[in-house]
Amino acid sequence: MTEVLLLGRRAVREVVRYPEATIPTLFIPLFFLVVNIGQVSKTFPSSTSFLKGQGYVAFQLPVSLMFAVATATSGLALVTEIDLGYFDKLLVAPIRRSSLIFGRLTADLVRGIAASTMVLVVGIALGAHVQSGVAGALLIVLLAALFGVAYAGFGILVALRTRNVQATQSSFILFFPLLFLTPNFVPFDRLSSLMETLARINPVSYVIVGLRSLVIDGWNAGKIGVAILVIALMGLVLTGLSLRVIATYDR
Amino acid sequence: MTFETRPTNGSAAIEAHALRRTFKGGIEAVRDIDLTVSAGEVFGFLGPNGAGKTTTVRMLCTLLPPTAGSATVAGFDVVAHAAEVRRRIGVALQEIGLDPVQTGRELLELQCGLYGITGRRGRKRAEELLELVGLTEAADRRTKTYSGGMKRRLDLASALVHSPEVLFLDEPTTGLDPASRLTIWDEVRRIQAGGATVFLTTQYLEEADKLCDRLAIIDEGRIVAQGTPERLKAEMGHDVVSVSLNGADVAATEAALGGLPGLERVVVEPDALALYVEDGASSIAEIVRRLDRDRIQVGAIAVARPSLDDVFLQATGRRLEGQEQQLEEPEAAR
Repeated sequence: MTEVLLLGRRAVREVVRYPEATIPTLFIPLFFLVVNIGQVSKTFPSSTSFLKGQGYVAFQLPVSLMFAVATATSGLALVTEIDLGYFDKLLVAPIRRSSLIFGRLTADLVRGIAASTMVLVVGIALGAHVQSGVAGALLIVLLAALFGVAYAGFGILVALRTRNVQATQSSFILFFPLLFLTPNFVPFDRLSSLMETLARINPVSYVIVGLRSLVIDGWNAGKIGVAILVIALMGLVLTGLSLRVIATYDR
Repeated sequence: MTFETRPTNGSAAIEAHALRRTFKGGIEAVRDIDLTVSAGEVFGFLGPNGAGKTTTVRMLCTLLPPTAGSATVAGFDVVAHAAEVRRRIGVALQEIGLDPVQTGRELLELQCGLYGITGRRGRKRAEELLELVGLTEAADRRTKTYSGGMKRRLDLASALVHSPEVLFLDEPTTGLDPASRLTIWDEVRRIQAGGATVFLTTQYLEEADKLCDRLAIIDEGRIVAQGTPERLKAEMGHDVVSVSLNGADVAATEAALGGLPGLERVVVEPDALALYVEDGASSIAEIVRRLDRDRIQVGAIAVARPSLDDVFLQATGRRLEGQEQQLEEPEAAR
C-alpha cells in the first residue's frame, strides 16, 4: 500500500508540475459546454420536456464532465516513463508491479476530482441547478472521477502494449465513439433509430444518463445504480487487463 | 562515510550457466554464456556495441527472462526468485532512468520508499547519498536541468539507496567527459571498498583495465576471453612493435620485415604495422637494419606490452579501439 501511495504522490506531482498537459483537457469540456449551450439553447428552451424546467446547460453538464475526465494522460505519462528508461528502474525495485498501475490510477482519481469539480462549478455558474442537492453534487464529482479512473485503463493498456508515444497519443480516438455515440445532445428517444441503437449498446451512455439524472431528476436510484455498475465493470475490466499486461511485461 | 553496501554470503555473487537470449526474428543476442563473479570484486564485461552486454545485464537484473540456461545473483535464481534478487541488487542501466519531473532529492526519497526506507530514515538516506555523489546543491532542482555527469551520479546514487549486495552498472561512463568518468571510477572503487560486488559493462579498454579485478570479453553474444586484465595480457606472451609508416609503402615494409626472427604475426593498421614478436627490445635492431637495407623511411618505432585491445584482437580478429563511441559534451548527454 505504501508503494502505491508513494507512486501516486509522484504521479500527482507530475500533474501539478505539468499544467500544460492538464489545461487542454479542461479546455475541451468547457469549450463544448459554452458553445453547445450557446448554439442550441433557443432550440431547447427550458420548456422542453426533457429539461424539466432547467436550461440546456443542465443537460449538457454531465457530458462535459465526462469530457473532462476521459483522458489518456496516464497512458502518456507511462509511455514517456518507458521511453526514458525510468520504468525499468521501477520494474527492478522490489515492489508489486500492480503498484505501478495503481499509482497512476491514484493520480487519475485526484485529477478527476479536481477537473470535475471545476467543470461542475462552471456549469452551476452558467445556471445549472443540481436537483439532488449538495450530496448529489458530491456524488457527481466522485462518479465522474471514478469514470476517469476506469477510462484511464485504455491509455495505460495502449502504452504498455505498444510502448510507443504516438500510438498512445492516438488512443484518444476512442474518445469519439465512446462519448459521442451517446444521448449527449438529446435523450435516447429523440435520436435516429441507428444512433439510438448505437447509443443504447454503448455503456458510456448509461453513465451520462445516471449523472444527468442527479442534475435534472434528483435521486433516481435505478439510473444511478446502472451508472455505478457500468463504471465499476469498465474499471474492473480495463484495470484487470492492465494488471495482466504489466505482469507479463517482458516475461 | 561509505556506501554501506553488504557483502554477499557465500563465494559467488553472480553465476550464470549456458545463459542464452534469443529475440524475435531469431536474433541471438546472448549465446550460452558461463560466468562466475566472486563476492566483492569489480567484474568487467567488455565488448563493442551490440555484443550482448546490456541483454546479459537485463537478464541478471530480472528485467528480461533468459531463453535458456540459468543464473543466480546473490544466491537466488533470477527467474524463480526474482523478488529476492531485486531486494539485493542495485541497477544503473545504460539508459539513465531518471524522472525529469522530480527533483534529485524527491527521486532519491521515492527510491528509498520503494525499498522500504520511509519517513525520516528515507530523508536522511537521500541526504547522505546526495552528499556522497556531490549533488547537495542541485538536490532541489528538477533532474531535467542536470548535466549528463550529474544525471549519471544521481542514477548511481539511486541504485545505492538500499545498500545492495550486487551492483549492476551498464556502461556507466558512456557519453561522459573524462572528468566525470574519473568521478564515477572513484565512486565504483568506494562502493567496492564497502564490500559490494560490482558488475560493470564497458566498451572502454582503459576502464576495464584500470577498474576491474577480472573481466570477460564478449563479442557477438559469446564470451571469448575471461580472466584478470594482467593474466589476459600476459597470456598473449609477446610484445607489440608498432612501426609508424609515415607514408612508406605498406607492401614493401611488410616484405622487408617478413622473415624477422621471433615474428608471430603482422597486423596492418592505418599508416602503421603492428608486429607481434617474442621479444620486442631485441627485435628493434634487426627491424632498423632491414628497413635500412631496403631503403625504407618510416616514422617512429615503438615497443609496447600487449594491451587489452590486443587481447580483443587475438580473440575476435578485430580491434575494439576506434569502435568506441566518441566522447560527448556533458550537456549533450540526455
